[in-house]
Amino acid sequence: MSKEKPFPEYRRKLGPGWWLSNGHFTQYMIREWTSFFVAVFSLIYIYELSLFASGAKDSALALMRNPGIIAFNVLALLFTLYHASTWFYLIGKVQPIKLGKTTSKPWQALLLNIVLLLIISYAVIQIFIVR
Amino acid sequence: MPKVARLHAILWGVFSMGGFIAAFLLPVLIYLVGIAYPLGLWPVTNEDPTSAILNHHHIGTLFLFVTVAGSLYHGIFRFQSTLTEVGLARAKRALEAIGYLIIILGILATAIYLLQYNPSFFSLP
Repeated sequence: MSKEKPFPEYRRKLGPGWWLSNGHFTQYMIREWTSFFVAVFSLIYIYELSLFASGAKDSALALMRNPGIIAFNVLALLFTLYHASTWFYLIGKVQPIKLGKTTSKPWQALLLNIVLLLIISYAVIQIFIVR
Repeated sequence: MPKVARLHAILWGVFSMGGFIAAFLLPVLIYLVGIAYPLGLWPVTNEDPTSAILNHHHIGTLFLFVTVAGSLYHGIFRFQSTLTEVGLARAKRALEAIGYLIIILGILATAIYLLQYNPSFFSLP
């Protein structure tokens, strides 16, 4: 049997700005671009760790105090929190919990996981910084 | 399940785990290291946060490795996929190759630097 399909598959061609035509698509793209900030912060931090490991602690601390890096970190925190909220909401959509006749709503998963995020963050601060 | 499909399932599974790590652990690390310490905000003390975390030998080193490696995997994996959606679909294979290279080198580098800083990590606490 020939591998050639009897009818060619139609693939709609999309330009690079396709996601600007619809609010949902734009929201989707902002959500996907949170990964840029997650990845770049991780790479910057790996570089800082390399400075720590090689004994150049002063250079690492100077890099942390660089105004450009601080500004990027503020943006990275905002985008990471946006990633967290969309991820938590998604959990509620993908895996709703059934309790008797009621099923949990996505916003309930969002709320519960935000509380969990605050508890974990506070625990990290208490264990590593305050003690 | 075919081998390629199984590999895809594993890669997407790790991506999902990285998504949880980036959501639950990364915000506090960004705040402590990148904002609170340089701007002198709560709760940072005289010691910088990275040293403070690494001084808690095993748990501190593990926390940094899991947070950085998980976030890097998630971020790069998702970003290379995003680039294919904004006009770079033709470069999909090249983007994947570069992405996996950055992930592997980044995770290896994180492990090596953390072990250099804390060589006694594998000894019992």
